[in-house]
Amino acid sequence: MLSKGYRKYLSFFAFLAPAFIIYTIFLLIPTLGGMFYSLTDWNGLNPAYDFVGFANFVEILRADPDFLNSLWFTLKYVVIMVVLQNVFALFLAVLIESKRRSKGFFRTIFFMPNMISLIISAFMWSFVFTQVLPQIAEKTMLTFLDQGWIGDPSVSFYSIIIVSLWNGVGYMMIIYLAGLQGVPQHLQEAAIIDGANVFQRFMRVTLPMITHALTICLFLTLNGAFKVFDVVYGLTGGGPGRSTQVITLNIYEEAFSSNFRYGYASAKSIILFLFILLFTFIQISVMKKREVES
Amino acid sequence: MRKRTAASYLVTLLLAVLAAVSFFPIYLAVINSFKTQGEMFSSVMALPTKLHFENYVYAYQQINLLSSVKNSVIVSILGVGGIIFTAGLAGYKLSRTPGKLSNFIFFLFIASMLVPFHSIMISLTRVAKSLAVQGTTYGLGLIYIGLGVNMAVFLYHGFVKTIPKELEESARMDGCGDFQTYFRIIFPLLLPISVTIGILNFLWIWNDFLLPLLMLTDVNRYTLILSTNMLFGEYNKEWSLILAALVLTAIPVVIIYSIFQRFIMEGITEGAVKG
Repeated sequence: MLSKGYRKYLSFFAFLAPAFIIYTIFLLIPTLGGMFYSLTDWNGLNPAYDFVGFANFVEILRADPDFLNSLWFTLKYVVIMVVLQNVFALFLAVLIESKRRSKGFFRTIFFMPNMISLIISAFMWSFVFTQVLPQIAEKTMLTFLDQGWIGDPSVSFYSIIIVSLWNGVGYMMIIYLAGLQGVPQHLQEAAIIDGANVFQRFMRVTLPMITHALTICLFLTLNGAFKVFDVVYGLTGGGPGRSTQVITLNIYEEAFSSNFRYGYASAKSIILFLFILLFTFIQISVMKKREVES
Repeated sequence: MRKRTAASYLVTLLLAVLAAVSFFPIYLAVINSFKTQGEMFSSVMALPTKLHFENYVYAYQQINLLSSVKNSVIVSILGVGGIIFTAGLAGYKLSRTPGKLSNFIFFLFIASMLVPFHSIMISLTRVAKSLAVQGTTYGLGLIYIGLGVNMAVFLYHGFVKTIPKELEESARMDGCGDFQTYFRIIFPLLLPISVTIGILNFLWIWNDFLLPLLMLTDVNRYTLILSTNMLFGEYNKEWSLILAALVLTAIPVVIIYSIFQRFIMEGITEGAVKG
């Protein structure tokens, strides 16, 4: 007969083991491994490698303009995406919420693009950008439609934004819709009686009441935007040249398609991780303060 | 009152226009997938004069549709099933066990949710290679369990707190062991959160691109998304064929969406609020 305490331990480990073992193998070890490799010159193929300390990080910051460009490009993308995605999603959610009968229909339509995988969305849009818009431009004289959507570095940034928004807004819209449902009707009515207009009601009543949804959506959009990969890969492949190469694509190419510098690419991935941590930390602490105030 | 009605019409109109714009790319992909290349170049906007199903037949063969879908289904079922099974057990036990060890393990799970996939993908390929799970369908499913389990443990952990402890105590009185108590009493009660977790993970795994790209080399083991990607690379300019393939790739998701629509919406909001 086992003692009670011992059996408790046994049961604890038996329940934990399946999840923890598989988590350790495919997530924990690779995470720690990535940190370790970032300090080596491992090339991914050769089992032997040397420990080089912070040399990779020094090289990235001093002598890797491609990475710094991709970092800058990604930061621009993050800022624009976080703002636009939330503004659009909230705007749509507020409009839809006001409709009683057609709510379900519009919700479905705007959410639909989110069901299509990002890479497929990118392919679909590259058809629109390279075939549809130029043809419409030709036939209707709306010449602005015929841009170098994919081929012109200054324009392709916006193409990437358009596709990302098209795919991603629906998801955030659902979360905002759920948030809006929790805003008590009587508060709105009271504000109407007090003579508040639509804009004032939104700023003073609706927005403070959905701060929680806002926190979540900012977190999700911020994180998602830093990790953007599929859209860029499918749409421009990082080109023309390296003009639309986001960080993730830069890491991917460094490791898998051109250089096979696994250690060096790992160092880049650590930098990406630190950026995400930093921005997430700032976002959460700012939002927490706001939640308390309201 | 009249003014409000006018405003309401205006809102509907605005929504309708935006919805049309949002739906437009899908509409274009569908109509053009039935045209010949020539028809498309004369007008992308026109409806097809004759439905050219041969685009679909060709795409069906090129992306090896049956086999790709089968692979995607295996990977998704293994991934989703494995996540629900393992994370349910762990989340439940962690939630019910006070103590430092339990807290530490829970913290590990949560902390790892912040690690982006791109930061682990390089050494993950090495781990997968050394365990000989790289390149296999089942291996890919296993990796998804490892990557998805942290979030699921977190969600289960929170949900278990809403289940009264008395239920387990009375089951134990009736002579149930720990596992019996879990599978007979607790697991059925976890159903709502299991559905949420299942849906969120299914959508992620089914639509995922980068991990299969890194892990799979054998065309016969390609997932649907990967097959379509390969086709796009090879037939870059043959738009009728590519569009047919894109539509084919989107169809399973649309079917799943129409069946589970309510659960998907709930899953997203639940997942977001609890996550």
